[in-house]
Amino acid sequence: MSSLVRSVIAVAALGASLQGARAQTPGGRDAGLRTLLARAEGLAAGIAREDSIAREERHRERLATRFDAGAVTVILPASVGDATGRRFVEGAARILDSAGVIPASFIATRIVVAYAAEGVDSLVRAARLDKRVRIGADISAAPDTLADGLLAADVLAQSFRGTLDPEWRKWLPSDMGMGWNMRIEGAEAVRQLMAGETRVGALCLGGSAAGCRLWLGLDRGAMPYQAAEIRKLLTARWWPGNRGVESQCVSGSDDACETLVRDSLLIPPIPPVPAGAASRGSLLRAVRRLHGERALRVALADTTGSVGDRLARASHVSEDSLVAEWRSWLLTGGGQPRVTADLRDAVPAVLVAALLLLAAARTGRWR
Amino acid sequence: MYRQVLRSQWLALRLPVVLLAVLGFALPLLTVTYGGALENAPSETVAQWLFASQKIGVLIPGLALLVGLLLGIGTWAPDHAGKHVYALSLPVPRAMYVLLRFAAGATLVAAPVLALGVGSAVAVLSVKLPGGIHAYPLQLTLRFALACLVCFAIFFAISISTRRAALAVLGLLGGVVLADLVLAALSISGAATVSETVLYLLVNWPGPLAILMGRWALFDV
Repeated sequence: MSSLVRSVIAVAALGASLQGARAQTPGGRDAGLRTLLARAEGLAAGIAREDSIAREERHRERLATRFDAGAVTVILPASVGDATGRRFVEGAARILDSAGVIPASFIATRIVVAYAAEGVDSLVRAARLDKRVRIGADISAAPDTLADGLLAADVLAQSFRGTLDPEWRKWLPSDMGMGWNMRIEGAEAVRQLMAGETRVGALCLGGSAAGCRLWLGLDRGAMPYQAAEIRKLLTARWWPGNRGVESQCVSGSDDACETLVRDSLLIPPIPPVPAGAASRGSLLRAVRRLHGERALRVALADTTGSVGDRLARASHVSEDSLVAEWRSWLLTGGGQPRVTADLRDAVPAVLVAALLLLAAARTGRWR
Repeated sequence: MYRQVLRSQWLALRLPVVLLAVLGFALPLLTVTYGGALENAPSETVAQWLFASQKIGVLIPGLALLVGLLLGIGTWAPDHAGKHVYALSLPVPRAMYVLLRFAAGATLVAAPVLALGVGSAVAVLSVKLPGGIHAYPLQLTLRFALACLVCFAIFFAISISTRRAALAVLGLLGGVVLADLVLAALSISGAATVSETVLYLLVNWPGPLAILMGRWALFDV
């Protein structure tokens, strides 16, 4: 019903009420009139409110399109086509699902408002009717941003990161393992491990669980770098160190180098732990693959002890076993077993050979 | 009688058998040409060496295929050349003759398998491995033996099959391709194609060709 029609009805109702009021006694007439006026005003206010909501919805429909896939909801400018929008939201859902870091219950409480440089206010206004927490995602940065759902997955991941405790926030890779892929990030993690830049990395590659723990930065307060390694990293940096403690480290003070690590004073590109984002992401992925999504969720919800303690506790194995599993999983390209020749391999092979021999013996040429 | 069949097969196939044995011996040794003293080597050297080992490992199932092809088809070559007259003249049932041929062929297959085992043992003895890296000479040799047996059986059966059996196999392959074409024409997408499914079933456990897949590195974590 249009607002005009509603207004006409409201005015007619008011008129009819006033006509009826004239026939009443003088004492009760004023009270009745006031009641009727109040009713009419209430009716008019309700109509105005409904009109405002309807206008807002029409405005939203004109400006933005909403896409849903699983628990993910994205609002995109209406100028983005349906196919692109669907690909974007489905891609985000797929990436979030494969990472398994963020619970669906958390994702369902957020709504991603993907905006281009212009029309930000309009889009945010368009999303206002949704009660969920709005997260902005700037899609104007690159033309192919909408090609996959990585951006939406990333903003949701960053939002989730904000809910975690400081130990996790410090350790988790900046991308939270979103879009981690064995072929690309897995190869990068192997390259980092094999680069031989740190002593603990070499130890880890050689099979030392303690070396792997240090390399991955799983132990609280541990010293993953040697002083000489930090010095080398600082001198290789393209800009000079401008802080006193850095200068002291470069000048030869081992204590200063250790202070840099202990007090988390190392700044990018020198990572706080030798393992880069792809390598730390590989540990998250390995835990998920080897111990299930629940183990990863439980570990992320845990706030007691070091990151290594939490992951080991959630996986029901010791920390050393966990890093040994991770090392083997990573170096064998996702846990593909090394060369095997057990009964599991032998039985099908022998059966196939026997069947083929039987077939050859039963029928063939010169028969 | 087995000895006579084996002897005749050896005379017909000795050249490929020796050649395959040499290849089998040489393949594992290729890994250690990258260096042997790895105990205290920088991790990057160990990494490159491991990658090389894995790349060379990929060649081993290829060798198993070659063994199966040359020896499986070669086993029947003298019979095909003599129009099977020799087989028909023997006082043994056909099934027994096929069994004897298979057994003799499988015995010849053992030569490259043994050579690969010896080559692997020599390669393992010539390196000092760093901690965390292991050698798998026995597993590699056994897996190679199983792969050779499967490939040999396949080509052995193909070589002696009737035209009707060959046509049936070709018809099956054609049917798979046709099914893919029909599905494509009907625009049924989203699911794996028939050929993909067939290939998946063949190369994944317990498929007949699963033994050729997986990892084949002599040195691994």
